[in-house]
Amino acid sequence: MTVALEKPAVEADGAAHGAVRIRHLIKRYGSMIAVDDVSFDVAPGEFFGFLGPNGAGKTTTINAIVGLATFQGGTIEVFGADVVRDYRRSRSYIGLSPQEFNFDRYLTAEEILTYQAGYYGITPSRAKPRVDALLEQFELGDKRRATYLQLSGGMKRRLALARALVHSPRLLILDEPTAGLDVELRLELWDFLKKINDDGMTVFLTSHYLEEVELLCSRIGIINHGKLVALEDKAALIARHGQGSLQDVFLELVGKRAHA
Amino acid sequence: MMNWVGFATLVRREFKRTMMTINQVVWPPVITTLLFLFIFGVGLSNTMKVMDGVPYIQFLLPGLVMLNVISSSYDEAASSLFQQRFQMSIQELLIAPLSNLELELGYLTGSILRGLVIGALVMSIGLLVVHVAPRNGAILFFFMFMTALLFSSVGMIGALLARSFDNLAIVTTFFITPLTYVGGVFSSIHALPPLVQRISLFNPMLYMIDGLRFGYIGSSDVSPAIDAVVVTVLAVSAFAISYGMVKRGVNLRV
Repeated sequence: MTVALEKPAVEADGAAHGAVRIRHLIKRYGSMIAVDDVSFDVAPGEFFGFLGPNGAGKTTTINAIVGLATFQGGTIEVFGADVVRDYRRSRSYIGLSPQEFNFDRYLTAEEILTYQAGYYGITPSRAKPRVDALLEQFELGDKRRATYLQLSGGMKRRLALARALVHSPRLLILDEPTAGLDVELRLELWDFLKKINDDGMTVFLTSHYLEEVELLCSRIGIINHGKLVALEDKAALIARHGQGSLQDVFLELVGKRAHA
Repeated sequence: MMNWVGFATLVRREFKRTMMTINQVVWPPVITTLLFLFIFGVGLSNTMKVMDGVPYIQFLLPGLVMLNVISSSYDEAASSLFQQRFQMSIQELLIAPLSNLELELGYLTGSILRGLVIGALVMSIGLLVVHVAPRNGAILFFFMFMTALLFSSVGMIGALLARSFDNLAIVTTFFITPLTYVGGVFSSIHALPPLVQRISLFNPMLYMIDGLRFGYIGSSDVSPAIDAVVVTVLAVSAFAISYGMVKRGVNLRV
């Protein structure tokens, strides 16, 4: 993968605020509390890792940020835009690459990107150069006329990332971005993510590959049973717990050491 | 401020979906209409000569048009939205800077367009057989539009409530099809026994078909003003309910 995408417009309005500002977030499903009074910030330009075991509240928190989930308490701002009251602005700042593939089955790879740009208010003629660049960037140029079902798992994963970037977001949220990718593609993707982060894009990553998080992220939050159990600089987190790796810290904090 | 490009993109997506399923959604109603016109209007023309003072084939055409407007607009909204919910591709729209109203109007516009296009296609083909031009194109359009709005909204309600494709078929099988067939497509309510005539007045399809027929042949079983009021009230109510559900994120946002 080559890196030739434009830098995010960090100097535009909202740059004075944190990239993500969550205060006292509460999300319930009936009587079950999925996210319990969670507060944290992600700074502009940060590579933030958000970890937790299955069902801990990671995806629910992401869904609340992007508008896929409503919530019962608290506030969320993205670059100063409230995700409920000022949802148009907050959503325009975010690009999401979800854990599960959710492509429109009637569209080709090229159309998936063009239509997604359209939903963000970008006309097809304005979107075309960006769509072409992304297809080349993610080595999907020869698959531009292929539909979702004609793509391999790795191609789908790359298309999901391209779709997240098509409207030039400031905040890229990645929910398990390397699931299903082979080692070579995973390494290429890591390089790409490091590059766009160096160029100023804020990245919010959740992954079950802890070595990926340890390599890429500068600060880490860990959620367990809906509560934030750790939030600090990666090196400080590992040092403070006297552990050798992020995996050891993670297992200690989520209480799974005995099963590891 | 309205996200016009986003709205237009959604309408374009709906139109593309219709065109990609043309053999399922466009040609069947056209062929079925031709068959109805041939069998009832031509084949049985010696048995069924006149209805409400006009040749039977002329009486039949507006009912067939409305039959297709109803089923097409319902099917488009119901199957498209439910399919997107089922495959989760609805998330592409839910995370975009589109308002709930833009989402609602985008789906409705796509469905209404499909209903109107198929209605117009059936009417045009029917006119080639019947050779009688509509009396009032504006009234014709009004009833087709309001009916398409009503059933597109009903389709959205169905798509938001359904848990399976089978659920969606309940509305078509047990409500839309029987009520449409007994709602005056094939005969005037004056041809029915008095008790059945009174019961028929509770069938909402009657007013849509009757209003459209008034626009085509210039006479109707019920007052066209009553037809217009009933259809408008139903369409606005269904729109309000479906929009309320989209606004509350029913089965869209967890």
